[in-house]
Amino acid sequence: MVTKEDIEHVARLMRIDIENADEYFDRIQKILSYFDILDKANISDEEIPVQQIAIDDLREDKHIAFDDKLIEQLKNYKGQYVRAPKMN
Amino acid sequence: MSLAISAIDYINGIKNNTITAEEFVSKTLEHIKKHEPRLHAFISINESAVDQARQIDKKIKSGQKVGAFYGMPISVKDNICVKGGKTTCASKMLENYISPYDATVVTRLKDQDAIIIGKTNLDEFAMGVATEFSAFGPSKNPWNIDYVPGGSSGGSAVSVAALESVLSLGSDTGGSVRNPGSFCSIVGFKPTYGLISRYGLVSYANSIEQIGPMGRRVEDVALLLNNISGKDQHDPTTIHNEEQDYLSGIDTGISGKKIGIIKEMSSGAGLDSTVESVFKNAVSAFEKLGANVQEISLDMIQYTVATYYVLTTAEAGSNLSRYDNLRYGYDLDSEGYEFRQYISKARHKFGAEVTRRMILGGFVPSAGFAGKYLLKALKVKSKLKKQIQLAFSKFDFLISPTVPVLPFKFGEKRDDPLAMYLADINTVTANLTGIPAVSVPYEVRHGLPVGIQIHANILQEKKLLQVAYALQGTTKLPEVPL
Repeated sequence: MVTKEDIEHVARLMRIDIENADEYFDRIQKILSYFDILDKANISDEEIPVQQIAIDDLREDKHIAFDDKLIEQLKNYKGQYVRAPKMN
Repeated sequence: MSLAISAIDYINGIKNNTITAEEFVSKTLEHIKKHEPRLHAFISINESAVDQARQIDKKIKSGQKVGAFYGMPISVKDNICVKGGKTTCASKMLENYISPYDATVVTRLKDQDAIIIGKTNLDEFAMGVATEFSAFGPSKNPWNIDYVPGGSSGGSAVSVAALESVLSLGSDTGGSVRNPGSFCSIVGFKPTYGLISRYGLVSYANSIEQIGPMGRRVEDVALLLNNISGKDQHDPTTIHNEEQDYLSGIDTGISGKKIGIIKEMSSGAGLDSTVESVFKNAVSAFEKLGANVQEISLDMIQYTVATYYVLTTAEAGSNLSRYDNLRYGYDLDSEGYEFRQYISKARHKFGAEVTRRMILGGFVPSAGFAGKYLLKALKVKSKLKKQIQLAFSKFDFLISPTVPVLPFKFGEKRDDPLAMYLADINTVTANLTGIPAVSVPYEVRHGLPVGIQIHANILQEKKLLQVAYALQGTTKLPEVPL
């Protein structure tokens, strides 16, 4: 059984502060309860599929110059540095 | 000059000198300005469209080589990047985001002299089935503005249905092209995973989503697919298809083809009686066209909605993590905030549905719960793929209603996410298995459209468009009441 504390913990890890917490949790719990339908699926013989991409399908690993100065699209930068909030 | 012409007729009109690109684009913009206050299909409009059309007319007159679209106005969903313009994803988070590059599909449209007439409305980050979750207000269904247009590519569908563009590009993660196609009575096409480049499409659930063409006619969608599909070095999941011409032989017919009705999508308590009745008419039409139609049961279908939402929220949780106000976000001074608080402050800009899916996306793959949710969903996906392949060893096509319910009124499902998610039951299978599927508009009953969904096996787009074209020929749809 998923508890409100479990959901609160995940929201904190995802860096989400939410208002109307109870409403969110009720709806998320309802959705998670619906996901329990997966317990009934007869999938015990199934393997987890692995997706592969051949290395030849990847583009060449080389630098492509970009015409515009991307850093100028940011508001909080000085010179070549992006200004971020301080860590604690 | 009518705006209600097909893409093919537009091109013929230009070639025969009966219309010019400038006239057509000018008239389209006037039409947009007249109807937008009521319909709200667009988030932004290309104000340079007439100048661009004029340039294309000059190329035509001077005998220069002109691209396949001859200045045709085409709208693009606002989660697909067009250089120099806003790409908002209908989110406050990206309200002022200017894309620094073109998506590959946009490059290909421009190379073929299409005119991007505007960027269309969607559910925030393409998460929804009604376009109600746009941060900039919902789009309205042109058949009845009290009803939703479907989603998440609702703006694209409205723009095409209401003659505000000839064609449109949407994106389809769980039915987001086909669902609004059905609700607005246009053709919505979800290609095989990898057939169209996703470079420049803002990611929601990378492993299953595809850009999809939308138009009023099946042949128009084939034309659009011809010009945007194929290998792209920027997207390693793309597939080579150079030899394929989806338009030629589209009228081949379907006599002798085997068609399977997917039982779990075409019967049961969740199926609206009007939708069921329209679907029966479509089945009769297939039989009259010479197809052999039988029912088939695929028991994994009952788990597909849960599987879809587990997998997509897990991927969305990861994709949305870039919206932290450092990499993407809005203008918020970093002074006075500590790191965590700064990011959570930024994420207040997400709407309720995006927040809900982000939390679910953090939850389902987390330690202690991954075995219960994510790993089971991956196994269901694997078994579903096997069932679908087995079905295609017996049938050429699989059919169902596109959506089990009629278009609904605004607000009807907004506060019940689960009811909203269940509207996806018929469309998510194509995404989970990577197969192509199309919604063909079939009837309008009591003023509300109903579409028929046809699936084909991987990379069988040409045959899929042939059967869609054949079905289209068996119905005559009313004109949209503008």
